[in-house]
Amino acid sequence: MKKWLVMLALLAGQAHAEDVLNLFNWNNAVAPATIKKFEAQCKCKVKETYFGSMEEALAKLSAGAKGFDVIGPSNYGIPPLARQGLLLPLDKSKLPNLKNINPAFANTALDVNNQYSVPYDFTVTLVGYNATKLKELGLQADTWSIVFDPAILAKIRGKVTVLDDPREVIAAALRYNGYSANSTNPDELKKAVATIRAAKPYWAAFNSQSYIKELTVGNIWVALGYSNDMFQARQDAQAAKRPFEIAYGLQKEGNGMTADSFVISKHAAKPELALRFINFMLEGQNAAEITNSIGAGNPNTAALPFIRKELLSVPAINPDKAQAAKLEQLSDQDGKTRRAWNKAWTELKLVR
Amino acid sequence: MSKPVYGLGGRYAKWLISAPPLLYLLLFFAIPALIMVFAAFRFPGDYGGLVPLVDVNPDTGARELLLTAENWRDFLTFENFGRFFEDSIYLELFLKSFWYAGLTTLICLVLAYPLSWLIARSGKKTRDLLVLLVILPFWSNFLIRVYAWMIILGPQSYFSRVLNGFLGIFGIEPVSLLFSQFAVIIGLVYVHLPFMVLPLYANLEKHDMSLLDAAQDLGANAWQRFWKVTWPLSLPGVWAGVALVFIPALGMFAIPDLLGGTNSMMIGNLIKQQFLDSRDWPFGSVLSIMLTLSVLLLAAVAAWAGSRHKKKD
Repeated sequence: MKKWLVMLALLAGQAHAEDVLNLFNWNNAVAPATIKKFEAQCKCKVKETYFGSMEEALAKLSAGAKGFDVIGPSNYGIPPLARQGLLLPLDKSKLPNLKNINPAFANTALDVNNQYSVPYDFTVTLVGYNATKLKELGLQADTWSIVFDPAILAKIRGKVTVLDDPREVIAAALRYNGYSANSTNPDELKKAVATIRAAKPYWAAFNSQSYIKELTVGNIWVALGYSNDMFQARQDAQAAKRPFEIAYGLQKEGNGMTADSFVISKHAAKPELALRFINFMLEGQNAAEITNSIGAGNPNTAALPFIRKELLSVPAINPDKAQAAKLEQLSDQDGKTRRAWNKAWTELKLVR
Repeated sequence: MSKPVYGLGGRYAKWLISAPPLLYLLLFFAIPALIMVFAAFRFPGDYGGLVPLVDVNPDTGARELLLTAENWRDFLTFENFGRFFEDSIYLELFLKSFWYAGLTTLICLVLAYPLSWLIARSGKKTRDLLVLLVILPFWSNFLIRVYAWMIILGPQSYFSRVLNGFLGIFGIEPVSLLFSQFAVIIGLVYVHLPFMVLPLYANLEKHDMSLLDAAQDLGANAWQRFWKVTWPLSLPGVWAGVALVFIPALGMFAIPDLLGGTNSMMIGNLIKQQFLDSRDWPFGSVLSIMLTLSVLLLAAVAAWAGSRHKKKD
């Protein structure tokens, strides 16, 4: 009995001595091994809380959720957080590894001069497809026509899903029409909506929840979704030894791109530890693990030598100059535009 | 029944016992509902939430109420309700959701009635086992059960293949079951069926069988015995089941999200979209209030019809 008490006291003492870093992030974004490595280095514990969508995380943080040190929002989530006064400006003298960031991803309109945020990965909204099936049908997925052109869709009717997300799908339809994905022009929105309306009868569903699985088992042949999800679908199909191959690539009209960044909460209990964590994540090898495990693109130049060779040849992960020029980061919309898009989306979903 | 006699302690005990649930409902139902009603008259904040009514005064550092008798128009508005009526799409969506929920309720009733009757008339041991089987699905998570339906209805499933093979014999084009309104109704019925079975069973189990014997002795045939004796007696159970199925089915958003196609949106999805994608809490509140009001209206109409019916008798 006495022994137990001593052990308990020791455990309690140890737990007390250990600092805890609270991380609020996308699920799976940071590999468990990387977290372990940081815990060993800082002699602290990392407690991860996950979110499944940016809007869910924003709703939670706007409503006053506290207790997080580091948050890993998508970049369009940074302006709402910053303007609500929920973020701590970064002390860059504590972030020597900031030099590793690819200038193409630094200093964007969503966080000028990276006052609050440091990017750690990016995903591209693109087309994932059953390469075997499309080859049989003689169809190309290197253009948005595969999702929006009724003449092409007629051959794959009921085998196409798109994200259940007005921002992403309308942005893709805008690019298909030759406009910016961040357009706020009502006429251009009208055109994009007409494009979606013409294509919708050929789609099976608006699906953000299960398109990875549907692609992997062969129920769906074409999906408008995120590059890291397509990476997983491709791996899953290979692991299950399916008689077909899942592939994904950029569209020639250009794609929407979303970078994710680390920020520090205004309410952080451990801002110093938070800076240490961000600097740790900026080390090439640790940054590379994100790409190696979830197939997201990497804005860290020091990471490139540590990324698996076969991933470096994937344009959605490592775009060349010309490809990168056609990636457009989604902006944070003002309230009026957001409401106009959402109303258009509701109408689209109601018409037959 | 004789009226129970309360002592002085008994009277206090009554309040003591009901205080915790009352307090709970007040705190977690009444107050949030009022906050929602208030939110419906406010303006959406640019980044979610609402335009604040209280702010810190930069000079004094004290928190101040911004709303005054003169400037209330900057903070309160009827515009959110106006948006609901300015376009028929929201009304259409309401009608469609009512149709989905109504159809679900009807199918549940038709399926649950014979089942409940069977359970109520079984021997004690079988009855307990059957009730357990009805409750059994609750032991696993609701979303997992819906995901299971995605596999069952998927084009690769045995169910789909056998059905389409059968249709093929008659030269009918293969149908796709998943991602359709059909799948949404199947999902809704599946999830809500136990909520119809349990109240019906609880009612049917208490019926006095000698009434049916008497009806038979007086020359009533099987149909008349059901329609004149069992059905009217079971109405309280039917109404309870209808309410327990219709109302949750009306607000459902997970099932249309997972099983629905491009045309299976319900009100629940729209409300969720307002709070998340649109960051428009006031309009989400308006939609929630309209939903609550329409359910109340329906209940009032049903109660009114019921009382008229009774008077006629």
